[in-house]
Amino acid sequence: MKRILPFIIIAVVLGAGLLTARYLQRSASQTPEAAPAAGSSPAASPANSGEPGAEPPHALGNANAPVTLEEFGDFECPPCGMLHPILKSLATEYGPTKLRLIFREYPLVPNHAHALTAARAAEAAALQGKFWEMHDMIYEHQKDWHETFDVRPIFEDYATKIGINLEQFRRDNGNEVVERRIFLDGKRAHSLGVQGTPTVYLNGREVPFESLAPEKLKPLIDSELANHP
Amino acid sequence: MNSRTIRKFLVGETNQPNPARRAVLLYGVAAFVSLIGLADAIYLTVEHLSGRSVRCTLVSGCSEVLSSPYATVRGFPLAGIGACAYFVVFSLATLTAFGYKGMGMLLALIVGAMFLTTLWLLYLQAFVIGHFCQFCLLSALVTTTLTVLVIIARRQKRN
Repeated sequence: MKRILPFIIIAVVLGAGLLTARYLQRSASQTPEAAPAAGSSPAASPANSGEPGAEPPHALGNANAPVTLEEFGDFECPPCGMLHPILKSLATEYGPTKLRLIFREYPLVPNHAHALTAARAAEAAALQGKFWEMHDMIYEHQKDWHETFDVRPIFEDYATKIGINLEQFRRDNGNEVVERRIFLDGKRAHSLGVQGTPTVYLNGREVPFESLAPEKLKPLIDSELANHP
Repeated sequence: MNSRTIRKFLVGETNQPNPARRAVLLYGVAAFVSLIGLADAIYLTVEHLSGRSVRCTLVSGCSEVLSSPYATVRGFPLAGIGACAYFVVFSLATLTAFGYKGMGMLLALIVGAMFLTTLWLLYLQAFVIGHFCQFCLLSALVTTTLTVLVIIARRQKRN
């Protein structure tokens, strides 16, 4: 028995290791089927549970659109930068009556040194009604500012380019409303158990990261549209 | 005073386990420590395969390190190789603790290779990538501990 015992221990550890890996993989990419079902009014209630987040959310598309994609993003995260053109082209393709995009701030601090500054810049632009313009600018030029030591002059340059009042932008950057919105979005992310970025919810159900490619995301949207004719 | 106590006093016999027994104990501890490394490496492998930015809570730089080109070897996640290595170390340490001959030498060679790899990875984090990842630092600590344990265990066995 003593000769076999180490092999039994090794086999048990191997089995436990494989089970742990499987469990972690499942929790990291919870499939839409496995997640709880969305409510009957997805546009009104983008995700099932959790804190409400900043209100009103930054949204593109009609509030009563049958499909809502809610993204928790970090402006400095490279996969979020890659997702940006995909979501943008989907919004154009489906149009505001079918698809609604919501962006939630989830800066990964301290991993990304400029993520919070970028989130503040976008929220400050939002106070002048130009959130999406700044959102697009920051994502589309992510590689230009990612390695820069001081990003504020770059974001101020973006503010000028999108045509907002620079003085007002500087004053708003980091004001109470801006900080509160970022905090509330983060609170919502934590309440939903968001682990990283980008995390996307489709009508309240988390989309696995590997399904965020357009060829995989489109069938999911189409199937939601078929359920909500 | 009974005869056993007198003998202990005269010949210096103590309650300390003999070196061979101590070596077995050290290999057992090494097997346990390798489980920590295994859990860490499994977590990193799954996070790598899911493609998300891992959130560091103690130091900054997890996503920089884990999304760097050094995080993969020919498309395979380095953490996955680490998980395999820790499992092999666990198996060899367990077999050595149970008295299987020849496994101790193999264990020492593998742990030595892992230690050298750890030094290389620490260098990359410090001087090439410029960021540290807490999960990689935990792995470095585990490998260093394993190296120390294996060295002591082999010395004990020689005695």
